[in-house]
Amino acid sequence: MDGLSLQWYQEFFNDSALRDSLFASLEIATVTMIVGTILGTMLAIGLVRSRAKWSPGANILMLVPLVVPEIVAGISALLIFSQVGLTLSIWTVVLAHITFSISYVTVVVRARLASMGTETEEAAMDLGATRWGSVRLVLLPGLWPAIVAAGLLTFALSFDDFVLSFFTTGEDVQPLPVRIWSAIRFGPSPTINAIGTLMMVVSISAIGLALLIPRLFGRRESGVKVLTAAEGG
Amino acid sequence: MSEAIRLEDVSKSFGEYEAVKDVSLTIEKGEFFSLLGPSGCGKTTTLRMLAGFEIPTEGRILLEGEPVEDVPPYERNVNMVFQSYALFEHLDVADNVAFGLKRKKVAKDEIRKRVEESLELVSLADRAKSHTNELSGGEKQRVALARALVNEPAVLLLDEPLGALDLKLRRQMQVELKQIQREVGITFVYVTHDQEEALAMSDRIAVMSDGEVVQCGVPEEVYEHPAEAFVAGFIGVSNLMEGIVQGKDKVKLASGQSVKAPLPEGCDKGEKVQLSVRPEKITLDDFERGMVTLEGTVAERVYQGVNTQVTISLGDGASVVALEQQTYRASADDRWEPGAKVKLGWHPDHCLVLR
Repeated sequence: MDGLSLQWYQEFFNDSALRDSLFASLEIATVTMIVGTILGTMLAIGLVRSRAKWSPGANILMLVPLVVPEIVAGISALLIFSQVGLTLSIWTVVLAHITFSISYVTVVVRARLASMGTETEEAAMDLGATRWGSVRLVLLPGLWPAIVAAGLLTFALSFDDFVLSFFTTGEDVQPLPVRIWSAIRFGPSPTINAIGTLMMVVSISAIGLALLIPRLFGRRESGVKVLTAAEGG
Repeated sequence: MSEAIRLEDVSKSFGEYEAVKDVSLTIEKGEFFSLLGPSGCGKTTTLRMLAGFEIPTEGRILLEGEPVEDVPPYERNVNMVFQSYALFEHLDVADNVAFGLKRKKVAKDEIRKRVEESLELVSLADRAKSHTNELSGGEKQRVALARALVNEPAVLLLDEPLGALDLKLRRQMQVELKQIQREVGITFVYVTHDQEEALAMSDRIAVMSDGEVVQCGVPEEVYEHPAEAFVAGFIGVSNLMEGIVQGKDKVKLASGQSVKAPLPEGCDKGEKVQLSVRPEKITLDDFERGMVTLEGTVAERVYQGVNTQVTISLGDGASVVALEQQTYRASADDRWEPGAKVKLGWHPDHCLVLR
């Protein structure tokens, strides 16, 4: 093996099983990103704006997935799925990923939401927008950079997650990190290194975009806040 | 004039806390009406009930004769200017101003025309395409004003709109706001804790304290004839002196001296009262006939440019503040050194007895 070569990348793309795993991972990450971001944003709005009694409790509950070790979360997910009789598949992986990604999204979106205050929504209602109109026309556009950043962050987290995927994956095509792990057990191959590089590129691009997009929207503060909030979580 | 707003026995509680108690007010069309009071007096809650963000616990609110207490904000013909401006950051200046008209489905051409007009009204015609975060504080305030006025509301509500501006800009905006109000002829309800601002701008002022309206009247009346010690103390500087009613138009001060003072109706002999005299009504060592005179010791002298503020101790723990104008007669430099004995006096008409 002398000099530079793209041979191992080619090998990866020629291996249909590995390719299927890549697509499975991309699919899981995409669905997780969309569903997790929607649910997480709704939760953030609910937590910040609701005056309900259970709001503080929900707040703590929301933070639990961020502090619980992933292996505990993985085993818990596996136990729950088998107890309710769900067959492990790519969709159980998605469910597990969504569960933990909601917390990340909520933390990121909530930081922006808290800095926006309620007066802009009130102003929208004062100017003739209904409650839903004020959310659609003022709140969501204001939150948009944070929502996009949170979505990309979830994508990256889901795409290279191993522990949760390992416990919740089934007979279906395995997500890429799990597939790599199995491959390594039969001895290391340079293809694995090539995949590792590819995965890193995808994850870094997603996080890079998460950083960049709020800036492109012309809001200096939110990008920084979003990421410090994510790190803090 | 017909009435724009009528509040009938309006109360608002948040749990145990009573923010507004039994407020009744009538605001005329075209009036510049101020709600004045310290923070926590219920003025903002009252304004928010007018806007529809809070629903009164009790009482009725009538907007141009129609009861509106249960009408949501988006169906009320009132608009509000928020203290934090509350501009929509994702829209440019023109779109911010057009927001209300778009909700009302006004025709595009007319929206453009009216947005232009209202931006011209607040002298921001050249900033229509600017992003809101490129604007200064004063400019943001004007956009917020244009955004509300473009809807031609029956009443414009302003919640301490100048609170975040520096003093010089605030003075300038006070004048402009008043001019704009005269120009558009819309009823303004203005919330402020700044008594000077309220005196300078308002047609009428309602002074609030602890959720209640303690006095409502034109600025001169509120300043010259405060109904309560609270109003006298809150609006301008007031010298309050303890005293006891001695007889017809006679009050005995704590220092033992009797002074002439016009008593309000129904004052009994022996009743405890407070005498209030504005600092600018007190003269030092230069009296006219019929004036009440007292003796005191100069405690402090503060040169303030236009005038000199002299604090005089009356010897019984009480002290009064007098303002001396720097007229050609006054040479304050060589008079009223601290510790000097001084005579002070005022016209009995300028003295107010508060119960």
